[in-house]
Amino acid sequence: MLSHSGTLPEYRVVTRFQPSGKMGFPGPYPGRAVRVRSERAVDAASNSINASAVKSMLSRGMRELTGATGDHDAWSHFISPSDTVGIKVNCSGAPEINSNPELVSAIIDNLIAVGVPADRIYIYDRFENQLKIVNFGPKVAAGVKISGAESARGSILGYDPRTYVEVNFFGEEDTRSNLIRLVSDTFTKVINVPTMKEHRAAGVTGCLKNIAYGDFSNVARSHQKEKTNTYSFIGTLAAVEPLRSRTVLNIMDGLRSLWQGGPFLQSPKFLFFPKQIVLGTDPVTLDHVLLDMIEDKRKKEGAPSLFERGANHLKRGPELDPQYNSFIREPGHIEYASTLGLGVFDKARIKETVIEL
Amino acid sequence: MSVLLAAAFLLQQITVAPANADTAQLSKAATPRVTFHANEASATRAPWVDSNGWRYLRQPDGHFYCEAPGATAAALAAGEAFAYGVHVAIHTDDAGLAPLNKMLAFLSDAKGGDFSPLVNIGFVDDGSAEAGEFMNLLVRRNLLFRVVKQADPKLDLTVTPGSAEYPKAEAVNPSLLAEKVRGNLTDAKRLLRIYGSEVVVGRLVGNGDAARLYLINYGAARSPARGLRVRILGTFSKQQAVQFDSAETQLTDVSTDSGATEFTLPELKTFAMINLAK
Repeated sequence: MLSHSGTLPEYRVVTRFQPSGKMGFPGPYPGRAVRVRSERAVDAASNSINASAVKSMLSRGMRELTGATGDHDAWSHFISPSDTVGIKVNCSGAPEINSNPELVSAIIDNLIAVGVPADRIYIYDRFENQLKIVNFGPKVAAGVKISGAESARGSILGYDPRTYVEVNFFGEEDTRSNLIRLVSDTFTKVINVPTMKEHRAAGVTGCLKNIAYGDFSNVARSHQKEKTNTYSFIGTLAAVEPLRSRTVLNIMDGLRSLWQGGPFLQSPKFLFFPKQIVLGTDPVTLDHVLLDMIEDKRKKEGAPSLFERGANHLKRGPELDPQYNSFIREPGHIEYASTLGLGVFDKARIKETVIEL
Repeated sequence: MSVLLAAAFLLQQITVAPANADTAQLSKAATPRVTFHANEASATRAPWVDSNGWRYLRQPDGHFYCEAPGATAAALAAGEAFAYGVHVAIHTDDAGLAPLNKMLAFLSDAKGGDFSPLVNIGFVDDGSAEAGEFMNLLVRRNLLFRVVKQADPKLDLTVTPGSAEYPKAEAVNPSLLAEKVRGNLTDAKRLLRIYGSEVVVGRLVGNGDAARLYLINYGAARSPARGLRVRILGTFSKQQAVQFDSAETQLTDVSTDSGATEFTLPELKTFAMINLAK
């Protein structure tokens, strides 16, 4: 299923951090995914989110994942009052498709209930301008900090100069991708809140891609040509310490999704509403669930599989015709990440619980 | 409107050219800047840097004339000429006059140090246009070289256009040739790396115990370079930065590990000098 050929780039990982604790990828629940769906979660006609339904979905999912009887106990599996928590959202498709404030707000309420002060909770992403489009501030608890690593596009000041992956893909001069400085200097825990989307280069963008390409600088260089380096770069970045050890929980936002042209909504016809969230600590397992979901949807729409690599399906430009794509997609990046020890890809070893509310 | 009535001597090698200056005896230099060729096919999406570095390295004793209109280009031209130590007459307009004078005053204050260029590549220049473009790409990639007549064993690499390694047939793509030079030298041996900008060029000089790095932001007219990570081969325990058009410049995240000195320059507006000492 890896669907990749050729030699991999030579990566050099530079970090002063060592793995720590039992948390982090794949965490205490390898091979485990909890999918919670509610028809009430989204009103498709008005494209609006029901915050109350989302809160219930999160509560049910967290209790199912941990076996706890209450929310406080469930969240205490991962977070303690002394933590400083970064919530890694995905705003790359804003305003049409991004980590929904209703879900992020519910997560924050639980963190505060556990005892984490609001001013030690950060909503963060790479690009400040995209965070501003979503405008989380008025929609979440007062005092929560919102931080974009790049207040000006391309600025490296929000990144840690001592934690990076160095690789030369195609002769580019800047060969470093640096970790967001908040992750290495400030956060003790990270909660990953990706969206569930097709991605024209990576195949899908879920847990792995959100935590990898969303936490490091200078990553777009990996997909400048039809044949990209997303296959190995995503997992390599996700495995870098301290990001790997500090990311204790993944909550995939599948309230809205898109099945073509991602990560941006290039046409409303590609938007659909799975009305679900998927929780777990194993990003590989969760992304496998996502992969199956997007494949199913594309099949229903008559679109080629994400694993299609034929030149007859390649065409540079806006991906408005689902038969074509600008890149050879690399959904095999998920299985590749499993070879780095980040999680379980083998379907036979995955336990997925589906809950309908 | 052209100004500059008095050709004032301001620095040893940089003069301000009057509007009616006789430039026939001077070699023409390009206006230092960045241009974007969005509608042209190219191998990369990189912005096009109009640098004179290769001209100045080809003719270190030459006398140049640079037309540099606007608030940024004239100051940039002066900084560039100073970094390469060449004679340049700069002609600017109303907007450029004050920044140019300010830059010349800055450079006058900054003089000092008995420095020679620090390079580890030799380039056998046949004087052709193709060799010129090849050198231009090396400058833009901060692959530090000097022109040599023949291979110099003291250098890590000698580049001879037209040789089997760098055949004339490949001259149509100087970017690929520059990439080949980079590969043959290896990144580990590069004297200078600049991360965080495609439009900043560095010039490194030194004398064994001390060194100075000139940083030129060719994109200054569009925006400052917000955050540059610089890696210089060699350990320099002292670092100090001064910058034209910026009152104070602090280097951050300095490290001197693994035989290299690294630091971050939080913002580069137009031109900076980093003084280093062991």
